[in-house]
Amino acid sequence: MRVYAHICLIRKIMSKLSNRFWFQLHGWFSLPIWVIFCFVCLTGTISVISHELTWLTNSASRASNPDNLLPKTAPELVSVVQKAYPNAKVSTVISFEPYLVNAVIFTDSDKPIAIAYVNQYTGDIQEINEGMTFINFMRSLHGWLLFPWHHNYSIGYYLVCAMAIVMLGALITGLIIYKRFWRAFTQPKLRINQGKKTLLADLHRLSGAWSIWFLLLMSLTGLWYLLQAIMWHNDIDIEPHSPIVAIKQLPLNSASNNENIPVPPYDLDKALSIAKQRFPAFNATYIMLPEHNRDTYKLYGEGDEIFYDQYAYGVVVDPWTASIKDERFPEKMTTLQTLSHIANPLHYGTIGGIWTKIIWFIFGVILTGMSITGFLMWGNRTVKAARNKTVAVTIELNQKLESTQSQPITKQDNT
Amino acid sequence: MARTKDTLWRRYQYKINALVLILPFYFLYQSLTPEFPSSWGTKKISTFEITLTPYDLEAPYMHDGHFTKDFMLIFNKGNIQNIRQAYLNIGNEALPLTILEAEDEGILHGSQHAQEVHAIAPPILKAEHKAWLTIETWQGKQHITSWDLPSELLSK
Repeated sequence: MRVYAHICLIRKIMSKLSNRFWFQLHGWFSLPIWVIFCFVCLTGTISVISHELTWLTNSASRASNPDNLLPKTAPELVSVVQKAYPNAKVSTVISFEPYLVNAVIFTDSDKPIAIAYVNQYTGDIQEINEGMTFINFMRSLHGWLLFPWHHNYSIGYYLVCAMAIVMLGALITGLIIYKRFWRAFTQPKLRINQGKKTLLADLHRLSGAWSIWFLLLMSLTGLWYLLQAIMWHNDIDIEPHSPIVAIKQLPLNSASNNENIPVPPYDLDKALSIAKQRFPAFNATYIMLPEHNRDTYKLYGEGDEIFYDQYAYGVVVDPWTASIKDERFPEKMTTLQTLSHIANPLHYGTIGGIWTKIIWFIFGVILTGMSITGFLMWGNRTVKAARNKTVAVTIELNQKLESTQSQPITKQDNT
Repeated sequence: MARTKDTLWRRYQYKINALVLILPFYFLYQSLTPEFPSSWGTKKISTFEITLTPYDLEAPYMHDGHFTKDFMLIFNKGNIQNIRQAYLNIGNEALPLTILEAEDEGILHGSQHAQEVHAIAPPILKAEHKAWLTIETWQGKQHITSWDLPSELLSK
């Protein structure tokens, strides 16, 4: 009964709210930040295809495979870099789409941080990047507008995430003011010969109706990013850190000199085979090598789940005992962990490879365009209306002035 | 509509937000021309000669339930391969190794070119505090050295 009373009350309130109110609310959600929103949409749209743009514009990033060779393993790629740079210390190996090279991140005496673009088929180092990559630049620009990170938060990240709220608000109010919006699916209307105002309105409404699913997806994933940012800021761990190797596993050296320094008996190759043994469908995408003697091999990769990201599976291997210190897989994840692993594929459209990326790109362009058409509509409705009114008032005043100036003359004439 | 006036504010009220987009260019310039704080000096300890540099002059921050301050350590002399484990903590004294080795907070990591550390720190830094480096070699020997905190950090 209480629920029914609530619904009645909401209906009563809603019926009192005029269409004009919803229209104004729709504008308040989008207009005050429309340029930032447009920029975030645009950079997000470019980010979706940033891997492909890199492939197109940088030949060194292409993993060409004319001899149809099998891809080399991560340990082989590490040894390629190690051979070319004997003083290098490799920290990370990342793999992307099969048409892009693998990235082997390392430091050297003259390189604080460098990325070797290693062709995983031929084993050739095609480029050494010591700066920012286009992919990282676009994702940083889209994700936090390059605002600095203060350890666990960035104002820019909050700003971008807050766009999810206005996007959701604009979507809901848009659907309220656009009566029978579902007609846009069966009877799409785009009148191009009835003036700019009509064209803009048709374009905005048609784009909005066809992008409902996309707007909803971007808003919800955006809200997740906002929640994630709040948790980071408040030091709430979504995925707890893996334990380090117990000190008792590191043997003391009885020799008084520094000869026979103990080294871990198990290498990356062994860690990789342990991961494959644990998860047969495991495809390593992000490998971190130990950074100190008590550190572990951290191997993350993808399985065969479509909606999970490329880090949904993980195995943390102790290099001294070859035991699994920690592991990650979808069935074991908490709700928050699941959300953190499905948000990116849904936000960036990587769920179905290049084809879904193209769909996400197209709708990204539409969304960017909607922020522009929305602003132009406001410009037409208000500023131009105000100008027209000013012109009308001026004409009216001039006419009055003319009539008042002509009256005495008439009177004079009459006299 | 009847009350609409063509004022300067009305014309530009929804364009002002574009000014925020100047900031990414400024931050990009900042990231391309980074400025790091001065090092806290070089100390000799056993066969090692180490220079300690903070990443910033901000107060310690909360990380994984502990207050932390980030540093970079350059080993000018000595081979880091000879280190079994090493830790950095800020406080009145070096924490005992038995406490340090129980968890991974404050452990030195990285490469022979540069080591990094998320040092264990108190929430508020005081003049009597020092940055304490504890190194254990493979022979089980402990070596401890310390750096004074610079005055510009104490006001944080």
